Amino acid sequence: MTDMQNNAYISFLPGDFELKGAENTKLDMNFASQRFWKEAAMRFRKNKGAVFSLITILLVILLAIFGPMISPYTYQQQNIKQTNWAPRVQGLENLGIFDGSESLKTSTGTKLKNAYVVDKETGAKNDTYYWFGSDALGRDIWTRTWTGTRVSLYIAVVAVLIDMLIGMSYGLISGYFGGRVDSVLQRFAEIINSIPTLVIVTLLMLIMKPGLMTITIALMLTGWIGMSRIARAQMLKLKEQEFVLASHTLGATNFRVIFSEILPNIIGQLITNTMFSIPNAIFTEAFLSFVGLGIPEPMCSLGSLISYAFKSFTTHPFQIVPPVIVLALLMLCFNMLADGLRDALDPKMKEM
Amino acid sequence: MRRYIIKRLLISIGTIFVVILLLFILLQLMPGSPFNDEKLNVDQRAALYEKYGLDQPLIIQFFKYVGNMLRGDFGVSYTISKNTPITQLLQTRLPISLSIGGEAVLLGAVIGLILGIVAAIWHGTVWDTIATIVSVIGVSVPSYVFALALAYVFGYQLNWFPLLYDMKIPLQSSVLPSIALCMFTIASIARFTRSEMLEVLGSDYILLAESKGVYGPKLIVRHVLRNALIPIVTVLAPLIVGLMTGSLVVEKIFSIPGIGSLLVTAIQSNDYNVVIVLSFIYSAMYIGIMLVVDILYGVIDPRIRLSKEGPHD
Repeated sequence: MTDMQNNAYISFLPGDFELKGAENTKLDMNFASQRFWKEAAMRFRKNKGAVFSLITILLVILLAIFGPMISPYTYQQQNIKQTNWAPRVQGLENLGIFDGSESLKTSTGTKLKNAYVVDKETGAKNDTYYWFGSDALGRDIWTRTWTGTRVSLYIAVVAVLIDMLIGMSYGLISGYFGGRVDSVLQRFAEIINSIPTLVIVTLLMLIMKPGLMTITIALMLTGWIGMSRIARAQMLKLKEQEFVLASHTLGATNFRVIFSEILPNIIGQLITNTMFSIPNAIFTEAFLSFVGLGIPEPMCSLGSLISYAFKSFTTHPFQIVPPVIVLALLMLCFNMLADGLRDALDPKMKEM
Repeated sequence: MRRYIIKRLLISIGTIFVVILLLFILLQLMPGSPFNDEKLNVDQRAALYEKYGLDQPLIIQFFKYVGNMLRGDFGVSYTISKNTPITQLLQTRLPISLSIGGEAVLLGAVIGLILGIVAAIWHGTVWDTIATIVSVIGVSVPSYVFALALAYVFGYQLNWFPLLYDMKIPLQSSVLPSIALCMFTIASIARFTRSEMLEVLGSDYILLAESKGVYGPKLIVRHVLRNALIPIVTVLAPLIVGLMTGSLVVEKIFSIPGIGSLLVTAIQSNDYNVVIVLSFIYSAMYIGIMLVVDILYGVIDPRIRLSKEGPHD
């Protein structure tokens, strides 16, 4: 209000204005769109949970890339003599934690056991270190956890690609053309959506070998529907607007109208929705591997590691902790990141 | 309204047919045959094929198959327990899965509603923060992580509940699985209730009610809750689907003899017939629930049946 009142007292002279050329008009557009992303970034930075999630995710990505490299073991290397060894970490072992000892509950009571001890009288230990311990086949859990995380991250990328390539195009095209195209495409999506994902995946497992490829195909068959609905709804909102009409009048092709006129206006919501589908996809993979329909041995994913460690989780609980924590952390952070992005990109949608 | 219900019914029936057709095609595509025994000679194999009707033309097989499926005659299991009718396998397992799923839905809906209402009424206080944290964790952490934690703490360390499902004490045995399963339901219902309630609380008609002197519990129950609860019906369908997939994992962790664990065993031992029957049952349940929820929503909220598109937009 005060701005407007002040403006009323300012008188403009002709010299205050200058005619902008056609090139400058384009510049102005650029400026406007930059503003949007700058503002979004500002809103995003204010959201502590989202920033924390982003940092955690980056950290997990770094560990997934470099974790297996800095360990002396490979994910499939077995040492039959060193099975079920508790975690032992250099440095921390002097503090009394992660020193390779674990308490075992037996019928006669609990007893402390340290598998690293070579000489029982002096308590001298050998110089092997399993940072997260070793599993029932003598494989390093540190290496396997981060190798498994790679699978989950690959699934995240696949989910984004599916949403962006299949879901978005399907929804945009269905909404844009409307009429018969729309009703055929929508009936098809409705039918696919009426078959539970679980059933589609199960049936796929019957005709294909379990593995990363099968999981990718399963996600491709079912992952795009949510996205296509949102893209279609947004398209229906926007396609009657004047700028679309203007674009048509100027002779733009359908392809151009859809992908370079309308799409930039709704990209924020689509990105948000894509982020929400990442945790779903990661969960689907972990779930399939957990029930034994996912990645076959000796390859591993977080789900298959949890499934494997589950068999002995009452006697050696340390084995199940790392994959469970990484998985829970990934899911939590992707969800919080998506929440933060939604608030940043689309402040109107923000919950009150 | 009638047109809307008929349209939804037709879509559901169509989908059931598509599912059966898909299952049937898959059955034909399966590698190998159900009779993999190498000792069988050609004649014996032909006799077996004739016995199970596998020598007839595909079209006839398909219609027989549809008829059998709809009548509830699911054929026999090939490998899990040889020649046992699948109906018999299901008789003991289906009730167990359904009761645990039912408990989880009930528990999740009640706790979720309470949490959401509390968070919305005392919006911006500690209660709100607690409810938000619970719902973020519940939505993001997979149900089997909860199941493992519960099993370890209450089943193994404290020994309050059986670690594995015990047929003799079904009630105690189902406590931990139901809690593990309902976490996701609690979280999503709490989230949804909270945002719906806040939207209603900010609306003009609540302002009107307040200025007319309605306040306190009467305002919340009569004016806010009634309007806020309508859209919650829509989240029920996806939640029940979540329970279906969740049950597979939870049944494995607590070794519950339900249909989820049967499905996993069947896939691993290549018992196609059982897999296909279970897929059919899962799809039929899912389609049925979606139909009921859609129609219910149309009955409760007149705006839905008046709009041309139906509840999907």
